[in-house]
Amino acid sequence: MDRRATLSTFFGLRSESESQAYAPAPRPINAGLEPFNGTWTKEHAAHLLRRTMYGPTFAQINLSTNAGLQATLDQLLTDPGNPAAPLNLINEEDPNVPIGQTWVDAPYVWNVDVLDYRNRSLRAWFMDNTLTQEGSIFQKMVLFWHNHFVVSDVDDPKYAYQYLTVIGNNALGNFKQFVKDITINPAMLRYLNGNQNRNVAPNENYARELLELFTIGKGPLIGPGDYTNYTEEDISEIAKVLTGWIDRGFFTQDANQAVESDFLSFWHDTSTKTLTSKFNNAVITNNGEQEYADLIDIIFEQDEVSRFICRKLYRYFVYYLIDDTVEQNVIEPMAQIMRDNDYDIVPALRALLESEHFFDELNRGVMIKNPIDFINGAMKSLEMDIATDPLQRYSFMLQYSWMLGPLQMTPFFMPSVAGWPAYYQEPAFYRIWINSVTLPYRQNITDAIAWAGFDVAGHFNAINPLELIATLSDPYDPNTLIEDLALVLFPNGVTPAQVDFLKTALIFGLPDFEWTTEYANYIANPDDTNLENSVTVKVRNLIRTMLYLSEFYLS
Amino acid sequence: MKRRQFLQTSSLSIGVPMMLNGMGLNTISKSKLFNNLNFENDKVLVLINLVGGNDGLATIIPMDSFDTLANHRPNIYLPENSLLDIGDGMALHGSLTGIQALYEDAKVNIIHDVGYPEQNRSHFRSSDIWTSGSPSNEEWTSGWLGRYFDLNVPGFPDGYPNAEYPDPIAITLGAMVSPTCQGLITNFSMAVNDPFEATDLASGGDNYIPSNYYGDELSFLRTAVEQTNQYSEIIVDAANAGANTVVYPETDLGEQLKNIALMISGGLSTKVYIANIGGFDTHADQVEDGSTTTGWHANLMQELGDAMKAFQDDIQAQGLGDRVVGMTFSEFGRQIKSNDSLGTDHGNAAPLIVFGDCVNPGFMGDVTPIGPDVEVQEGVPYQFDFRDVYGSMLMDWFEVEESTIQSLLYADFTYMPILSPCTTGVNPIKDKPAEGLALNCYPNPASEYVNISFQCAAEQVTAVLLDMQGRVVRSLFDRSVSAGAHDFNYSLDGISPGAYMLTLKTTSGKQMSKKLIKL
Repeated sequence: MDRRATLSTFFGLRSESESQAYAPAPRPINAGLEPFNGTWTKEHAAHLLRRTMYGPTFAQINLSTNAGLQATLDQLLTDPGNPAAPLNLINEEDPNVPIGQTWVDAPYVWNVDVLDYRNRSLRAWFMDNTLTQEGSIFQKMVLFWHNHFVVSDVDDPKYAYQYLTVIGNNALGNFKQFVKDITINPAMLRYLNGNQNRNVAPNENYARELLELFTIGKGPLIGPGDYTNYTEEDISEIAKVLTGWIDRGFFTQDANQAVESDFLSFWHDTSTKTLTSKFNNAVITNNGEQEYADLIDIIFEQDEVSRFICRKLYRYFVYYLIDDTVEQNVIEPMAQIMRDNDYDIVPALRALLESEHFFDELNRGVMIKNPIDFINGAMKSLEMDIATDPLQRYSFMLQYSWMLGPLQMTPFFMPSVAGWPAYYQEPAFYRIWINSVTLPYRQNITDAIAWAGFDVAGHFNAINPLELIATLSDPYDPNTLIEDLALVLFPNGVTPAQVDFLKTALIFGLPDFEWTTEYANYIANPDDTNLENSVTVKVRNLIRTMLYLSEFYLS
Repeated sequence: MKRRQFLQTSSLSIGVPMMLNGMGLNTISKSKLFNNLNFENDKVLVLINLVGGNDGLATIIPMDSFDTLANHRPNIYLPENSLLDIGDGMALHGSLTGIQALYEDAKVNIIHDVGYPEQNRSHFRSSDIWTSGSPSNEEWTSGWLGRYFDLNVPGFPDGYPNAEYPDPIAITLGAMVSPTCQGLITNFSMAVNDPFEATDLASGGDNYIPSNYYGDELSFLRTAVEQTNQYSEIIVDAANAGANTVVYPETDLGEQLKNIALMISGGLSTKVYIANIGGFDTHADQVEDGSTTTGWHANLMQELGDAMKAFQDDIQAQGLGDRVVGMTFSEFGRQIKSNDSLGTDHGNAAPLIVFGDCVNPGFMGDVTPIGPDVEVQEGVPYQFDFRDVYGSMLMDWFEVEESTIQSLLYADFTYMPILSPCTTGVNPIKDKPAEGLALNCYPNPASEYVNISFQCAAEQVTAVLLDMQGRVVRSLFDRSVSAGAHDFNYSLDGISPGAYMLTLKTTSGKQMSKKLIKL
């Protein structure tokens, strides 16, 4: 017996036995990228909306159910464009930025601390966008790309903002152009030391990640320095191609200096660079400040680039496990669409989201929500009232952004250039979000959403249980009430036993008609605060209990 | 659950000894080194993960190559007078005063140039390799400790904690669990930020678990909730019962190690703790321009050394020295040449530091000379396979059979004498070897004979040649010698070609090993 082979088979996910060992049951999803052909139901609509935007409401699910799959996708995939720039709402010391104006183009000021408020403004603005943009996949794509083209610990919020505009401009655009834009983006140049990559001593940090994480991905090590899709030699040569770029405007006090990148030909390696057979021995001759674009065109000639990005999209929108069947039936045809459209993102993404595979019931509820999806999901699905006054809203969003730290998902503070481990770390993937430290934080947050609300800067941000249930199909019937809420909050509804359990949270074991009577009584006497409080507390208790359930953690 | 039973059976089957020669070193090493009957029950391993790839050449500086190294690193090299000379051609980064003190106190084993064949320079792959213990060209998804736990903690997490396993199996400090403890089904480590913080999570609903992927995730979440509650109580009790006896530096790592000492002191039977310190990916600004003893890497070295020293002092003061060893690891070292950004790019092997009362003090392997001609991307080649380090720790610390180690890690596992009898408590022989043995053997590789040079006090000295399985191949000498430097010549007649460990021991408790190649 070849013991090594046996062991590696046993321990390696790539092998069949490991896949079986890790999987609880066979996963007979043979459905591929062919268009969804089943009956369009509210469960399908809820699944699509839950995966592509944050926390659909009951009304949104109904709208989509009536509109149908194609109309829903038309809307979801429409590019709303970047939101308006963040504003100065609190700092009266900034001589260049009055209250109510944006700071994103304003210079820094000697002897005045304008950094702190700008950083806060950016953080709050980022969270606000995720909650504000309705009916679009855009914000989830922004987070996807932030996690793909990671830039972290940027220091200068003007750089972070400028980077986010590039993310937004390309989020539903063309992947090839996106890579070109990001390669010479000032924040990226700083983050991966591209701005220090010079002919005299190349810094290969960006070159390595460009291949490994941004475009073609790393295959198995099949020889010394040979990662199947590229080699160490390619990294070294590509680092030379990318020499000469710097960023300008870092913490600048010069009002005329924008945040921008610049090419310095005297720091550029003008020699002829030759890539390996992985790239058909491509020869890259000196082309100055256009040379990086030549390089990216050459990288994109490899079909593997399309597969790599499609796998990543799959892991973000569908499920982490990519077995041979998925590779063959989903990734490969999706990558083909990507290539046929010269790397436009939307056609391939649309094909995925309208496929039989995406809507297969076995793909429903298999994804543990990331912290932003988790919190946004609760706040939006339960139609939490969030302050509209700019300053109060800003204050709430800032507080929200602080909640993400303990949950391990603060934008711009990534654990590494590979992004959040939940999207790449085998075998745990999404499970990485959950442990004995993060679980209590999650429950604290859902407790606050269901019960205490967030009293911030003079506004009480909270759900209104009675207004919420009034939007449901039949709030008089406790069974329907629970099923409607389950449609909104849970990926696979509730079992009859769970309905019974949840009814104990609502009406403590009383017969159903007691709820019907009490609720009808309240509707008939809306000004009776005793009745109102009594019904409110019962619904809050129900919602809090539903948010505790593990089902709510899944999408 | 059927699936779990299947896995349990399978994972047990890989533990069945497969080696035909039962004369592995484990019997020798353990019976000689350790006499603790409750070995398996009270030893604790503390891992410190230096995340990002630590620059070994700026951690332990090869002094015989100082000038050439400075030439390769003109913008970042550390001035000679800033370094902490620890003898034998090695100096520590000037900020590693903590480790210097431990080294001089015989509490440290520096293992030179630990790595693996076919270096992968991706952070993520190389971290996976180091945490899984896989070969470089294979992707294993379980962690090296996770597989060990799979064999010894049956059926986890169902039914845990229980009477036999009352405490967390492993604990990662912080808010993420370590992939080293990833088993085939679940991660054996629990994340702990603040051991004093009690959690009481609500759960609810029935136990309906559909038999599909959705059901699997559901089951994972429900178990996580239950276990968090149960283990939380246990940890809070331990934190309240435990103590710290020294003041720790107020750093992230200091805080983590402080909490680890507290939990050990409080009586947890947890086998493994993992601490993390990030920031070692020093592509740029590893040092301050013009002041290379300051900057990013210097701060990390300070944080590492000071926290390690405080932890060891605490553990010793509490009489726990013979139960706890610590070990650093990092996904790779960095390239020999610096880049133009005051930094270094991803490289190959780097030193690994094992510390505690029960280490073989000194160092293992050679200080690799850095020649004048170095390729642009060249890294330091590895002398020791990291899996040999892991396996040797498992063997001597957790009493794992050699054959099991071979199946957990790799068939070519080679024992390394990293640990030794503990020096506190019952065995106070060696207080402080003020200077190293300065063991050297040459020529190396050797063909017909070898010269062995060393220095020591007037005492009894033994030298043995071990094969890479740790078996004694030849006892070279056992004699009393005078104080000072010695140089003996021995014939290698009859020794088969291959790699060996030459190990020198003295009655004052010093021990040192060198790798010797016989042609």
